Amino acid sequence: MYRYDEFDSRFVHERAEQFRGQVARRLSGELSEDEFKPLRLMNGLYLQLHSYMLRIAIPYGTLSARQLRKLAFIARAYDRGYGHFTTRQNLQLHWVQLPKVADVLVDLAEVEMHCMQTSGNCVRNVTADHFAGAAKDEIEDPRILSEVVRQWSTLHPEFSFLPRKFKIAVSGSDADRAAIMIHDIGIQIVKNDEGEIGYRVFVGGGLGRTPFIGHEVGHFVGKCDILAFLEAVMRVYNESGRRDNIHKARIKILVHQIGPKEMRHRVEAEFAEIRQMGVLELPEGEIARIAAYFTPPDFEALTDECPEFEAAKRSSRGFADWVKTNVHAHKMPGYAIATVSLKPIGKTPGDCSSDQMDALADLMDEFTQPEIRVTHEQNLVLPHVRRKDLFALWQSLDTLELATPNHGLVTDIISCPGLDYCDLANARSINIAQEIAKRFSDLERQHDLGELKIKISGCINACGHHHVGHIGILGVDKKGVENYQILLGGSGAEDASLGEILGPGFDKEGIVDAVENVIATYTDLRQDGERFLDTVRRVGAIPFKERLYAH
Amino acid sequence: MLIKRGRIVDDPFLALADGEPAPQSGAILVSLKRFGAEKDALLARGFPLAVRVAAGESPQSLSDDVHKLAAVVLLVGYFKDGRAFSWARLIRTRLGYKGEIRISGHFLKDQIAFFSRVGADAFDLSENISPEDVDLALKEISNVYQPSVDGRRTIPELRGRMNERRRLAS
Amino acid sequence: MPQVLTANRLQVGEVVYWNSAQGWVDSFAEAEVLPDDKAEDVLKDAAEWVTKREVVAPYLFEVRVKDGVAVPVKIRERIRAAGPTIRTDLGKQAG
Repeated sequence: MYRYDEFDSRFVHERAEQFRGQVARRLSGELSEDEFKPLRLMNGLYLQLHSYMLRIAIPYGTLSARQLRKLAFIARAYDRGYGHFTTRQNLQLHWVQLPKVADVLVDLAEVEMHCMQTSGNCVRNVTADHFAGAAKDEIEDPRILSEVVRQWSTLHPEFSFLPRKFKIAVSGSDADRAAIMIHDIGIQIVKNDEGEIGYRVFVGGGLGRTPFIGHEVGHFVGKCDILAFLEAVMRVYNESGRRDNIHKARIKILVHQIGPKEMRHRVEAEFAEIRQMGVLELPEGEIARIAAYFTPPDFEALTDECPEFEAAKRSSRGFADWVKTNVHAHKMPGYAIATVSLKPIGKTPGDCSSDQMDALADLMDEFTQPEIRVTHEQNLVLPHVRRKDLFALWQSLDTLELATPNHGLVTDIISCPGLDYCDLANARSINIAQEIAKRFSDLERQHDLGELKIKISGCINACGHHHVGHIGILGVDKKGVENYQILLGGSGAEDASLGEILGPGFDKEGIVDAVENVIATYTDLRQDGERFLDTVRRVGAIPFKERLYAH
Repeated sequence: MLIKRGRIVDDPFLALADGEPAPQSGAILVSLKRFGAEKDALLARGFPLAVRVAAGESPQSLSDDVHKLAAVVLLVGYFKDGRAFSWARLIRTRLGYKGEIRISGHFLKDQIAFFSRVGADAFDLSENISPEDVDLALKEISNVYQPSVDGRRTIPELRGRMNERRRLAS
Repeated sequence: MPQVLTANRLQVGEVVYWNSAQGWVDSFAEAEVLPDDKAEDVLKDAAEWVTKREVVAPYLFEVRVKDGVAVPVKIRERIRAAGPTIRTDLGKQAG
């Protein structure tokens, strides 16, 4: 993974001191809250329902054991001993105090971490496929480009006061595990007929009040040109994005208003000008230097035949269940990708205690895991586990409540913090996730239902990505009472689609039954081992609406 | 207080409202609209002319005329409006302007380093920003990651040179 | 409808409520219930505390009074007064 050199290190330390100065100016009254707010947001500090919340950047979701330990320490020392992993691969701490934040930044800087640009009207954390470097179908590790973009976008002088936030995601394969189609800029790494690697650039995806799937604006952008292309997109947005209404300020609104064709035209004009100047040409040497940080670890020469693994599956039902869903094929024989579930039934999706983080760091050392990843579905991933180590790993994870065998199943729910934590929320979301998980906790039933992604947001800002859930749930305020609308048929993968609202919402007591009815409709209508999403796409929403609202 | 290239200077321009007649002599500052409507007459005066671009306006329309101006003033209505950063870049780079680009209006000292990088070289400071603040603001973060109008060496470039020096030394 | 004035302490971020006798208090139970005609003035006066950098983001919210006990009308304020409903070991509710 990327290692800071003295330049990067000095940068984050200076940034921490700069923020310390900004806090001092706030506390002395030199800065009003209005003036301080965008500055603190650019260091990821929010004022939430109960307290200040700090969002720590985890670039493309990758962490070393050392960094994980530091996060555990920070959560203990400055917060309440836990953190929440988000749908943008970051970590949130819900109980920090303003005068201590600069100290947190200094602690983070020690392990090459920071909170820069995790909020504010600037380029946010660049997210990428959590199976990077391990997936069989990978064309190129998306984190190389992600790191290039991260550096380029850090304190960019022209683009730090955009009309609104800007989110970029990178996928390294045809399968989209980074949800690039619902990002302001989504980048897909592709190979042309000559075998050259280039980038397919989508612009204008996004969720929230007005969800959109991104449009292709760059068909095949060369490696050396990608920064120039991104700068072109950003400039068109900075100059022309709406600033009169925060609900109409994202680039997706601009693309929708002027049309993708005009957007391409403007971007190409800007791109041509930037290219001509040559300043943003990415030198091969720099690409290679960054790529070198992402060379895979030294894999042992193993085969996929692993008798101890097979024996363990036979002897342990629990292990066999876990392997079924949480273990994924690796490009190297004898290796596997393991999903560490943060979705124990009845607990808060995505939360992880300091004790768990420390224990995970120990496991990483024990099983020589150089990295752990955060996924946008609020789980963790150990990308390079030897198959022969899986059973021992699982046993340890199990004692830590990190081995729930539900990856991709109905209880692997994505949920924003909602009204329990968030100042923007209209309804609680975590409790709904918990109730649904409890209702469907029977593992046999979960397996019968198969892949079923439920995503819950506590308000229209859609941090829970409800628009792209197979079942999406949106919490609203209906005359002072929490109310939940159901959306159907969304997907955040390469077959991206936005969910359709089925009808009037349900109250807290009714929503779980409603979800059960939706799922029952699926089991009644499914054919030939169809996934839930496939049945929905085949039969449409009407049978589900009828089931929900007939009486 | 007006700071230009790190020094406190007097503002030579008399700012004129749109309908206000221009004096016989002396440097004046007019709106972009007025410049568009009365360009020839204003330039014919033979005295330094500055144009103010307000929020919501683009300096693109200045085009080649920009070279006849003694200064372009970018008026920021509210500090969150980041268009002025792109406008400064546009004026320096696309239009090739070599004169004064001044930032005026509501901006924070924390934005001065950014403005400076994209080509602004003068700042109309409000009373809570001092020249020392400007100095500090420009020094707070030693290095930059991305190229911009200022032509500063970026971290990737500095790395490249450092690594090359080390390679040669070993 | 009667109202209560609330804000967050600038430094620690904690939720506080206004009581003209005691100032900013930590617990909703001690908050002063403001009659409608008085509430707006109290909110205006709160600006002074913002300037003094004691609190940020003061605002009013409605309460219902039953048997002398005030309860926030909105669930958001009930949660804000107590803590996260799914972690009763956190927030003001934990004591």
